[in-house]
Amino acid sequence: MADKTRDTTTDGGVTADEEITQPLGLPRWVSALLPIVLLVLVLGVFAFTSPLAGVQSGEPLPDVTITHTTLPSDETVVLHVTNNGPESVTISQVLVDEAYWDFRVEGAGGDQTLAPMESAQIVIPYHWNPGWDLGVTLVLSDGATFHNTIVAPSQSPGFSLGLLGTLAVIGLFVGVIPVALGMLWFPYIKTMSDRWLHAVLLFAAGVLGFLAFDAGFEAFELAERIPGAYEGNLLVVFGIFGALLLVQAISAWREGRVAAGDSRASSGLWIAYLVAIGIGLHNLAEGLAIGSSFALGRVSLGAFLVIGFMLHNVTEGPAVVAPVARGERPSLKHFAALGVIAGAPVILGGWIGSLAYSPTIGAFFLAIGVGAILQVDWEIARMVRDAGGRVASATNLLAFLFGLAIMYVTDLFVVL
Amino acid sequence: MPSIDYDTAADVTKRLEERLVESLTGETSVSRRTVLGGLGVAGSAAVGLGSSRASATSDHDDEDEHGNFGAVGEYEDLDFDPHEFLTAFNTGDSGQDNVPQQVYEEDGRTVREFEFTAVDTTIAIAPGVEFQAWAYNGQVPGPTIRAVEGDLIRVKFTNLGRHAHTIHPHLKNLNPRMDGIPQNGPGVLDTGESFTYEWIAQPAGTHFYHCHSLPLKEHIHRGLYGTIIVDPDPERVRENPREYVNYPGPITDDFREQLVEEAKSRNHEYAENDAVNEMVMVMNSFDTNFDGGNEVYAANTRAFGYGVGDTDGEGNWTAGETKRPIQIDKNQRQRVYLSNATEFDLINSFHTHSQFFDYYDHGTTLTPTNKTVDTIMQCQAQRGIIEIDYSDHEPGLYMFHAHQSEFAELGWMSFFEVV
Repeated sequence: MADKTRDTTTDGGVTADEEITQPLGLPRWVSALLPIVLLVLVLGVFAFTSPLAGVQSGEPLPDVTITHTTLPSDETVVLHVTNNGPESVTISQVLVDEAYWDFRVEGAGGDQTLAPMESAQIVIPYHWNPGWDLGVTLVLSDGATFHNTIVAPSQSPGFSLGLLGTLAVIGLFVGVIPVALGMLWFPYIKTMSDRWLHAVLLFAAGVLGFLAFDAGFEAFELAERIPGAYEGNLLVVFGIFGALLLVQAISAWREGRVAAGDSRASSGLWIAYLVAIGIGLHNLAEGLAIGSSFALGRVSLGAFLVIGFMLHNVTEGPAVVAPVARGERPSLKHFAALGVIAGAPVILGGWIGSLAYSPTIGAFFLAIGVGAILQVDWEIARMVRDAGGRVASATNLLAFLFGLAIMYVTDLFVVL
Repeated sequence: MPSIDYDTAADVTKRLEERLVESLTGETSVSRRTVLGGLGVAGSAAVGLGSSRASATSDHDDEDEHGNFGAVGEYEDLDFDPHEFLTAFNTGDSGQDNVPQQVYEEDGRTVREFEFTAVDTTIAIAPGVEFQAWAYNGQVPGPTIRAVEGDLIRVKFTNLGRHAHTIHPHLKNLNPRMDGIPQNGPGVLDTGESFTYEWIAQPAGTHFYHCHSLPLKEHIHRGLYGTIIVDPDPERVRENPREYVNYPGPITDDFREQLVEEAKSRNHEYAENDAVNEMVMVMNSFDTNFDGGNEVYAANTRAFGYGVGDTDGEGNWTAGETKRPIQIDKNQRQRVYLSNATEFDLINSFHTHSQFFDYYDHGTTLTPTNKTVDTIMQCQAQRGIIEIDYSDHEPGLYMFHAHQSEFAELGWMSFFEVV
């Protein structure tokens, strides 16, 4: 519909002339606001006259989610609950292992009733046993029940500098150091022919592609535990597309700058930073996983785990530096910045995961990471094409496959 | 392509065929159980358990094609012997080494004093399967206490476990402070706390004790239960025969003497009692995976503890080191003090093969409450006395088990070996 010529459609009709003038000669802003004003009016009439009051097809079902549990001491169990339903719910009783038990509700305004979308903590004084599963059931005022099993409980670590220090050290080993080591391949990558450099770039794209799937599945898995009202799966979709489009918009803006003759924006450094940000987001999620395992007391900090993560993350180093292998070498400052952006979020994620863990935050971070990574893959493909390479050459496809494969193999070493 | 030597190929094919036929004669179908059994063998081999089953079946190729059920392997942990437990009565005079006890007179009453502790421990419930238990004096079931009607049972109880515990007796107890519940007397005893429970041994019968801390399901099914046997006093029976029978008719002198004789056979302080072979059995069960259902059932904790070690399914069997039938003398009267500590299931039962017995519900009567039955059922904490006579049976194996097939196949399956 780009042309302005009369278009004869198949039914013989003709398109109407375009209206240039506003109806009744009103100013433009009126026609912009009018539908909104009318909508408000209709809503008001609907709310006050309740024309559907006679239509009654039963009650909406109550929907309560136990998002997660914390065990601050060996005689306390805390359930974090959210009311997802459209109606208030009252938590009248709590069962622990099929026995009615003491409890108090905190954070619901002093009573046991949760308004829609309201969250609260249910504090249960119960002498639990490390490693012995515990079944907890909420009984609402209408007798509806919501059950949750705390598998192999263990005490939640409280806030302590020691824990933060431990997580920082772990983050250093599984995030920063491997990425830095991987970046040491830079001088070698610089000496490569175009063909092989492109292969390395596609290898990096394969690594990132694997991470996108890895984090994506993880995000949808976590989304299962997000209270229904927050639409976990759609939140993940939104996070993926949001990040993808946001980073892509920045990228498009950069292209505009290049066209306008900004030399800095045309360098590979830009892409290197994008890759670092994508990997950084992924590593933030990795840190969240480690931190939350800590919070849930599920971490076996064997050397094996750390080694697995290191092998897994060392491949991210060349991915970061490959885009700057052509043209002049960036200053060391940039290398340091790239390494920190890509690796250090493991530490930050660890802290967030151990202190303020919630499935919603976790899934959203993972989704943002997926979106960012997908955009980076797109960017890498363009970079190869701009440099005169063929993205889908045999070497490049195999390199991409190798990236996927090596991530799969090293992923087997990482069992959280 | 290497050239093919037809002779060699034929040889190889024949060998492979033979091997296939051999491998199929053992098991026509690989069921989940055999796979699990195999894993069990592998597992027990790994922890250094010799499996009598495995060694026996490797001797002959004609393994029963239907397979045999039963837990694979022997028990490694020898801290608890269900065969010893059968006849371990703690009377104050004599009893188990791990139950400090004494008997003395106080205000004209016999006092039987026991020291009980509650501890956290690990017990073996099936070969190679361990269970984190809470146990009186480190054993599950707890020690069997035996007293005579009218005695004072004094239990000095110290809780050494992580959780708060009590002892609640199923006796006629006139003092609420001594009931062992959270709401009365000292309430629950926290780690390190002690309390001395005192109960009058009444009424005569076989009774039950258990921890009454909350959550009740956990505290019972983790192993805090045991048997209290209160022997009838023959003199008291002579004076009050009506209290020991559920019978409204006239009490003749003969009948009275018969009741007194029965009381003497029940009372461990009388010679008449020596003629009876008495056994204590507590039907119990264990939930190993926290799903509110039991994975292991047993009489006296150990799955198949009174089973045969190994059988070829053709009438030949051997006793295992730890899994072996209860040997009984056919000329002795057999008496089982049976109680049910099973959690998560509504009832448990006791069924004898080729045999009928008399049952005395709660053991509070001297005449049977069920005469000539081969199956009785008990809800949790119900108990009773079973009297069995094998004097006219041929020697050999006589099975007894829960007649919930599920329980039987999960471990509550036993044998008497009549000799």
